Formats: sequence, structure tokens, C-alpha cells
Amino acid sequence: MNKKRCIGYELATAYIPFQHYTVSFPPMEALRKGTLFPELYKPYQLGKGIR
Amino acid sequence: MDNKRRNMLEEIQAVGFVLIELNLYLDTHPNDERALREFNTYSQQLKRLRTQYEAQYGPLLNSGLSPSQFPWKWINEPWPWDM
Amino acid sequence: MWVYEKKLEYPVRVDTCNPALAQMILEQFGGADGELAAALRYLTQRYYMPIGEAKAILTDIGTEELAHWEMIATLAWKLVKDAPVTKIKGTPFEAHFADHGRNPFPHNAAGNPFSATYFNAKSDPIADMHENMAAEEKARATYEHLIQLSDDPGVTDTLRFLRQREVVHFQRFGETLELLKEHKERKPFY
Repeated sequence: MNKKRCIGYELATAYIPFQHYTVSFPPMEALRKGTLFPELYKPYQLGKGIR
Repeated sequence: MDNKRRNMLEEIQAVGFVLIELNLYLDTHPNDERALREFNTYSQQLKRLRTQYEAQYGPLLNSGLSPSQFPWKWINEPWPWDM
Repeated sequence: MWVYEKKLEYPVRVDTCNPALAQMILEQFGGADGELAAALRYLTQRYYMPIGEAKAILTDIGTEELAHWEMIATLAWKLVKDAPVTKIKGTPFEAHFADHGRNPFPHNAAGNPFSATYFNAKSDPIADMHENMAAEEKARATYEHLIQLSDDPGVTDTLRFLRQREVVHFQRFGETLELLKEHKERKPFY
């Protein structure tokens, strides 16, 4: 981690936080959901955002 | 395709998928020991599942990574898009 | 080099015969934010990358996109393989059929052929990684449009899987961007 990131963010720069892996779905559920990681599972809610 | 074959294949797809996910995670987290241990364990499990499947239905990998019985079984139907 | 696995990444199921939907699905076979463009984008960008993590993620996600490209083709193929010509006539798939028959071909939903102008490689790792994150977001948006258009439960199931993969890939490219920024700061002034 560099210092600048601890103090604050720089302008004109994009940031993505690192994932810290702790828990996982069992293999068959992971396949069905499209990810092994519960914290990355963001399913599409049909109807949301549709005008 | 019969149900038994479908189930075996789906198990391979599930374990294979866990390995794809851990592989991508490790690419950006090469020092995560626990993830790497899991990767190696699932990798062994995939090898076993693959060997069982291939004994009944023929090779899953080309380029000499799966052995074939006689006659050459790689050409066997069905191919993935027809399964 | 590459190794072929004689299986799909995900068990693709198609429940109906639907040439019109097949034509829309082909957006992801040969469209600007489709799986072919994604695979070629990532595999093409690898050479100038300064760190192993970036070379690895581009190789591995690029390879997974080829598996997705095969899944998309499987969807399009299964939606039309048993369609009689009378069920193709008058649908948006009719123009595809005139040239290619029932075999999939890389063009977008409107029929424009695939083009390498859909992606870039700039020899600028930070710029390339931003393109890749944008590409994952645009592909996710396309999958949401396709989910809205699909009335085939099997097709929708596979589209949801592919959409979720875009979310994970976005995260990995974002982490790679962070690693590239760190690498740039470590490097002496040039």
C-alpha cells in the first residue's frame, strides 16, 4: 500500500478496492451463481432500472 | 445424453469453475496461501473426476493431455454444443 | 498455445426453438462488446504489460472469454438447429440464414460483421486496463438487455451466468489496475 492511498485519493485516478477472500459457495452453487465469491455475487434484478 | 453422464460432466464443470475463479483470484493475490492451498486441492479433485469420466466417455482434452482407447475416441459425438 | 476442453464452461440449456432470439444473442458472438471482441482484446494486449500479474489476468480472462464465445454459439445454434425454414422466414434471423444457414457467424444483432475496430491495444497498461473495465461493464449492460428480451428460461439462465462473470472480471481488472499503478510509482522517473 503506498502512502498516498492511506492519506486520500488522487484526482484523475480510478480506484478499486482489493477483494479479501474469506468465504466461498460450494462448487455446484458457485457454478449456478456464476461466482465462487458471495461478496462478488450481484445478480440482475429484472425490472429494476427499466423505464 | 443420459443423466449419469450429464451429472458426471456437471460435477467436472462445477469443480472446474471453482478452479477458474481461484485462478483469477490468485493472479491478483499471489500471496494468499489459503486460496493457493484450496486451488491445489481442487486441482487434484478435478484430475480424479476427469479420469473417471474419460474412462467411460473418451478424452476431455486434446494435444495429448488425455489418453485414448482404441479406436481414437476424440472424434466421438456428441460435441459440447450438441450436448 | 491453447488446450481445448471437450465441454462447455457451464451447462447450457435451451428450451425453445426461437430464431428471432438467436439473432439477438449473436450480438454477443460478433458485436462490439461481445465475447469474441473481449477474448481478442485481452489476448492482444498482453505483450506490453510490465508485470506478471497483468500478463496472467489477460491470458486467463482472455481464455475464459473464448469459452463464453463457445457458450454463446451454443445458445444461437440450439435456438435454430431444428427450426424449419417456415419458422425462420419473416424473423430477424432470415438475413443471417440467407448467407450462413443455421451455423452461427460473428456479426452483431443488426447483422454488421465483426471488426477489430471494436477493441484496442495502446502499449499503455493503465489506458488498456480502463478499456477492459469499461468493456466488462458494457458487456454486463448488453446481457441485461438480452435477459429482458429472452423468453426462453434456459437461455436466460445462461445469460445470467455470463452477466455475473462480467462483474467478477471487472473486479480482477480493477485489482490489476491497482497493481499497475503501484508498479508505475515504484519505477524510476523516465
